[in-house]
This record gives sequence, C-alpha cells and structure tokens, in this order.
Amino acid sequence: MTGPSPQLELEDIQGLAARGYGNLRAASFLLIAVEETAAARRWLGWLADSITPASERPVEQSVNVAFTASGLAKLGLDALVEGGFSPEFVGGMVTPHKRRLLGDVGTSAPEGWVWGGPATPQVDVLVLLYATGAAELETLVALHVARLSGEGMRLVGILETRELDAFEHFGFHDGISQPIIEGLSKTGPWADTLRAGEFILGYPNEYGLYTPRPFVRSSMDPKRLLPVHCTQSGSHDLGRNGSYLVLRQLRQYVHRFWRYMDAATRPEGGADDPVARARLASRLVGRWPSGAPLALAPEADDERLSDANDFGYHGPDQLGYRCPIGSHVRRANPRDSLEPEPGSRKSILVGKRHRILRRGRGYGPRLDMQAALASDEDLHEERGLHFVCLNANIARQFEFVQHSWINDPRFTGLYDDPDPLVGGTTEPERAFTIQGVPLRIRLRGMPEFTSVRGGGYFFLPGLRAIRYLADIGS
Amino acid sequence: MPHQVALTIAAQVAQGHTEKLQQLLEDLGGRPEALPFGQIANLHFARLFVLPQTQDLSGAPIPATLILLSDVDSPVAAFLDALIDDFGTTLDQILGHCDGYPTGDALTKDARLAFLRSRIIPVATAYVNRVGRSAQQIKQEAELRGAIEDYLDRSGHDWSGRSAIEIHSAIKNFVFNEESLGWARRPAPRPELWWRVKEGVHAILLPLVLILLLPFVFIGLVAWVVLLRLHERSEDPIRDVADPEDLDALAAMEDHAAMNPFTLLGFVKPTRFRRLTLQTVLGLVSYGVRHIYNHGRLTGIGTIHFARWVFIDDKRRMFFASNYDGSRESYMDDFIDKLARGLNAVGSNGLGYPRTRWLILGGARDAEAFKGFLRVHQLPTPIWYSAYPDLSAANIQNNARIRAGLYGHMTPEQAQDWLRRL
Repeated sequence: MTGPSPQLELEDIQGLAARGYGNLRAASFLLIAVEETAAARRWLGWLADSITPASERPVEQSVNVAFTASGLAKLGLDALVEGGFSPEFVGGMVTPHKRRLLGDVGTSAPEGWVWGGPATPQVDVLVLLYATGAAELETLVALHVARLSGEGMRLVGILETRELDAFEHFGFHDGISQPIIEGLSKTGPWADTLRAGEFILGYPNEYGLYTPRPFVRSSMDPKRLLPVHCTQSGSHDLGRNGSYLVLRQLRQYVHRFWRYMDAATRPEGGADDPVARARLASRLVGRWPSGAPLALAPEADDERLSDANDFGYHGPDQLGYRCPIGSHVRRANPRDSLEPEPGSRKSILVGKRHRILRRGRGYGPRLDMQAALASDEDLHEERGLHFVCLNANIARQFEFVQHSWINDPRFTGLYDDPDPLVGGTTEPERAFTIQGVPLRIRLRGMPEFTSVRGGGYFFLPGLRAIRYLADIGS
Repeated sequence: MPHQVALTIAAQVAQGHTEKLQQLLEDLGGRPEALPFGQIANLHFARLFVLPQTQDLSGAPIPATLILLSDVDSPVAAFLDALIDDFGTTLDQILGHCDGYPTGDALTKDARLAFLRSRIIPVATAYVNRVGRSAQQIKQEAELRGAIEDYLDRSGHDWSGRSAIEIHSAIKNFVFNEESLGWARRPAPRPELWWRVKEGVHAILLPLVLILLLPFVFIGLVAWVVLLRLHERSEDPIRDVADPEDLDALAAMEDHAAMNPFTLLGFVKPTRFRRLTLQTVLGLVSYGVRHIYNHGRLTGIGTIHFARWVFIDDKRRMFFASNYDGSRESYMDDFIDKLARGLNAVGSNGLGYPRTRWLILGGARDAEAFKGFLRVHQLPTPIWYSAYPDLSAANIQNNARIRAGLYGHMTPEQAQDWLRRL
C-alpha cells in the first residue's frame, strides 16, 4: 500500500497536470464542436505536435487539449473502449441527478448556461491556450481558430480569461492551498502530498489502488501507439497518463457581495464600518484578503501569513471561534477536522481522498470593493472564475467536495448553511453561522454571491492517447 | 417512551402481477401526496420495493416478492392500524397484487391486519442510531430548536453583553412560557422499564454464556479459522459490472433529501459453512449494535439513522437496508474508511464480494471493487418516505441535547457548552 509510486512518465502527461502555468499570464479556452470525423482526426494529428507535456516548463506558450464523452464518440472511440471511462464523465454534468448533487438549480440551472447546457451547442473538445501576455495569446488563439475552419471543426465559443494575478474578484488571495503530486519535483508537508494516482490515471492512488481507466483491445491498436497494459494482457492503455478535467464557469456578483457585507455591518442609520465589513467578508471566506488564515490570525489580517498553508483546525480552532465552521476554505479543505478522530493523521487521511488540483482562471473586468460600493450593479457586465480542476475520480473528488462539503447545509453539524460563496442548494433557508462567545451570530436569508453559467466534464488524455485518437480508422 | 422496531413485511407477488405492481409503485412514488405516511405518528422511515422473480444458485425458482420496510416506534400494532386506516384503498391496490390478499366481502380491516401480520418476517440484525428516540420526539425537538433560534434572532435582542448563564435562563424562560412548546417543560421520557430490564439482562447474558462455554468456544474457533481460510483460498470472486441503465435508475431516486435510502440484495454463498458464519457474525453484530453502538455512532460513522440485515428465501439470499445522511458516494467512502472490517465480516459471506483474508481483511479495502459490488447489488426503491427529510442524524442528536439542557442548573462552563449547540 505504501510502496514508492512508479516513475511518472512526464513526457506523456499533459503539462496542466504538473503546473498551472503561472508564468503564462494570459489564457483562453476554446470550446469546439466536431462536425466531421475524418477531418477532426486530421486536425487532432496536427494539434498533437503542439501539445505541451509535463516534462517541459514552457516559457512562451502552452497548448493542452481535453474531450467530452461526445467528443470521444465523434472521434470514433466509443465502440473500441472496454468500459473504463468513469460513469460521471460519460453521463455528463447536467442530468437531473447531477443538478441536485452539484446544486445547479435556480439561477444556476443548466437551462440558463451560456455553454454546456441543454440550450447551447454541444461541446466536444476543449483547447486550453496559454501565453505570456495578451498580444502573444491573441496570435496563438488566431492560429488555432484559423486552423479549425475547413477541418470539420466548429468553434462554439471562447472562454477568455483575465490576466493572471493572485486575487479573485471578491478581492481575496486565491489558489494558496494545492495538493502536491508525489513524484514531481515540488515537495511539501505530508498532509498536502498525494499519490499521483489521485490526479493522473495509471498510478497508485491514496488507497494504493488504480482508479479504473479505459483500455482498448490490442487488435484495435495495431500500430502500438498506446502503452501496453502491464497486467491485463491483450489490452492497450488508453487512460494511462490521462486525467479528468472539470470546468465550471462561476459568475461572481461583486456588487452584491460587498453591499451585503456593508449592510450587515452597518448599525441602523449609522455610518459604514470598514473594519467590520472586511472582517465579515473574511469570515465567509475563512482567510483575510491577504490570504492569512483566520485559524492563525483571528483578529486582523496579517501579511506575513499570506501564504500560510501548513495548519490544522482542530488544535487552534476546534469550535470555529476563529474561522467559522461553515466558511468557504474550511469546507473546501477541512484539513484535520473530519471524522473519525479530528486532529489526527487518520482524519487527514480521510480528507486526502477528496482533494482536487485547481487550475482555474478569472474572467471579466476587475471591480474593487470601493467601486462596488459606489456604483450600481450592472447586470450585463459579467465577471467570475473559470473554475478548472483535475482529478482521477470525479465522483470521489470533485463531486464529493461540491456536494458533501460545499453544498450540504448540514456539513459537520450545521443546519441551514451551504458554502456562503459557492454553495448551491434547493432549500429555502440560506444561513451563515459565526460561532462565538457567548452566542453565535446567525446571518439568515443570505443571497447567492455566485452562480453557475456553464460547465462540463472532460478527459485530458496522455500524449500517446491523443496520437491514438488522431489515428483511429487510418 | 417506546423503542424502535425494524418491521419487515414480505409478501409473495401473484403470478403475472410483478410488472403491474412495479408500475404502480413507480406511479405512487412520483405522487407523494397519494401516500399519507406523514399521518402515521410513530413512523420514522418506510420503503416499498419488489424483488423480481429469479432463480437461486441451483436453478430453483424464487418467486417475486413485495417488501415493505418500516422503522416504527412500538407498539407495532399502532403502525399497522394506522397504515390500514390512512392508506385505505391505496394499500388494497398495492397488496391486491400479492398472493392471499383478501378480496370482496372478505376484505375487512381484520383480514387486512391478519394478512400483514402473517407476512412479517424476522430481522437478523437491526441498527438504530439512538435507541429509544421516537419519531414524535425527533420532530418536536426540531421544532424546539427552530423556535429557540428564531427567539434568539428576533430583532431587538442584543446578546453580546450578556453572560452564558443569562442567555441560558432567557431561553429557558422563553421555552417554558411558550404555549406551543408545553411538552418541552419536561425531559424526554426514557424507554419503558420492562424493556430496559430486558435489554440489561440480554447485555450480560451473551458474554456469560460465552465465558461458561469458553473451552468449547475455543476449540470451535480453531476449527472455524481453518475452514475459513480454506474457503477464502478456494472461492473465486466474481466481478460483475453494473448496467448503466440500472445506475441511472438508482441515481434518479437519490439526493432529493438530506438523506437517502440504501438497499442491497445478494445471495449468501451456497455452503453451510458460510451460512453459519454469517448467522454467527450477525448475531455478534446484533449484540454490538444493541448494547455498544446504540447511542449515535457506528464505529465512527454518525450518519446512519437506521439499518437492518434480513435473510429471505430460506437464508439463500439476504438484503441490507439503511437510511443514511448525504450522498451515496460519501456513504460508500465512509464504509471503506471507517467500517471496512465489520462490513467484511458480514459481506464476505455474500456472493461476489471482493476477496477477504481472515474474514475481516481485504474486501472493502479494495475500494473500487467494493464500490462495484455495491453498485451491482443495489436496488432502486420506488417508494421511500422519511418523517424528517431535512434533519441529519447529527442535527437530531444536537436537538436532543438542546432540549436536555433546559432542565436543572448549569455552571457558566456548562451554559457556554450548551450555547454552542445553537
């Protein structure tokens, strides 16, 4: 169970699994529909040569590609695969059950989505493009868009992103807590270091097992483009070095967010209270704007702790007096506060089976707090996050986190408290409880500060698998 | 106060009626208003499903069976009475598809009652999150907690300068003067004395017998271990793959409430050794859940409201049914992370279960194989009812503690601890 992981085949893994391309500050994601199979394979053959592998740290640009289940079917894969793709990936994100599970109801219902929903064109392929700056990105996007026309591919949409910086739209330092993949060069604390199989298929996961992945019969791969399965004779490994990518367009209502904080902290008929306002917002988040965790800095923001990530909740803050139990970061990553035996290694081990690798990018123009408080909400202007995460098991990782930790109003003994930032629920009451002495403060009738605008489940294949997909039927 | 009973009613479906009955259950399941479970005061959970006709492992036919499961507060008679009175013709419609259900002039209340009573089958093991907490108490205490929260949040109340003791007293005053909460002026009743005595005697009886028979138990154990290893080595685990359509049918019924039903059906491995092992293990589990895990937790899992194991078809098959908080994925992960050994001890005697070693090792630890086994053997339940669909087991427990804190005096520390529950 605890033996060393096999060496990662970095040259066969797409780069996004290894890094978020922090040096490539501009990015656009192309949503593409396949219209003609043979031409799509030709296009993919061309694209395969420009895919950035994990073995390279790109300095100018990067290209990665992922497919929906419909995309793989249109490439002709469907009939060849011996099961193995996860049911979540195959079933997609918008089934009636997934809507309940993911909280995509009301304003987040897929009927209102701008892409990926029942009312918008089917998305088959996702091309993720990264470059150093806006001008370089423009050139890269133009190249890829031009290549689509006449190749049996249709551009359905472009998800543009905002130049990368460390702060999300509500003004909080984001992306601090990330799992570290065992076997990559970066190392970190045990609690954050995960077996590669949690994110990359074909390697042992946190159970010491292999997450199910797709294979094809060896007769379907006569050119031996795919690796041979090590234990299952007669099968070639389509899933190895691949991952599942979850993409969700999350709109953030920045006006609403700061106005709510302002109203909730303003004494009746009194003046605003900037300190209390920022403090309340930070309690919803669980970190201060700088990123300092409330569990370590309960009274005021502390720049020195802006990257602090090696901490637990059980010791300093079991009762939530510092960082509310229902705050966003405490539920997205409960650290050592889970059953059984909170505060123990056992507790952290349970949590390690539900981690995701975040690769999201913000979109839309910046609106800082002062501007949000001073202006009226413009419903046409949209901003938010293109949430991207990678995981090996969508049900056990992304969906579990979204449902059981983020959405569930009863998370660790609460009653009516979904995640105050991104929790979706069908229930009428939306409360947020701030534990305290002598008595909690309970904010009731909280508005939604985000909504879902699009989304999909994708498969991010290994490089050899991409060449195989391009070669089917030839 | 009553104790809970895991009532299981199994009625053979009349030849040729299976599809009609299944259709009826699905229709009714889509129209909860047609099912007045909510009027039955002593009911916690209920579900109805059909086990289709099949063959046992030797090819002998097993007829289709309608299963009605309910978790009720004693006395059972009150539940059966209410079921017949409140469901009226709907009950007749359902049971009319079963062999032996009275018709015409013979269809009297007594005949209905006799039919139901004659179809009650024993439960091998039943788990209750909190023994002795009635459905009425759970609903009342949720109301109490809601009223207290509303009182605290009412505008004009500023609690910031007050001590924990002062707030506690204010809450007590509020509750004790609130007409609609009259029942809360007294603590929750305990189970009847005779029942507690019976449980107490049972608690010491089994260890006593085991100690008296120690030499025999030891010899038996050695022989059993040898046989067990022989079986474990020779058995070939089958790894079935779930049909995507079955998975869709299951998903369609899940995550409508804070909790979900779970029903698992399988064959017992067809050897005398496995059947006896299973019966013994379930006997021990029964003892454990009755006397040790009877107040809120099952070896670290606090999210299961009720669960039961039931033998059917002359112990050729068995089903497991539970009501649990959260999603199926979180439930299965709880099994794997926190309950693997206990589940192995039971499950390894079932056909298709992932291979175990020494009865409790391996098995569910092979997370993917285990999840595959559960998916293949899980049954959809077209009709499912919860008396308190919005309350997690943790909520229920917390509500009970809120109420318990209303009586007697508290130190400042105790008052502060109590206020944390709000």
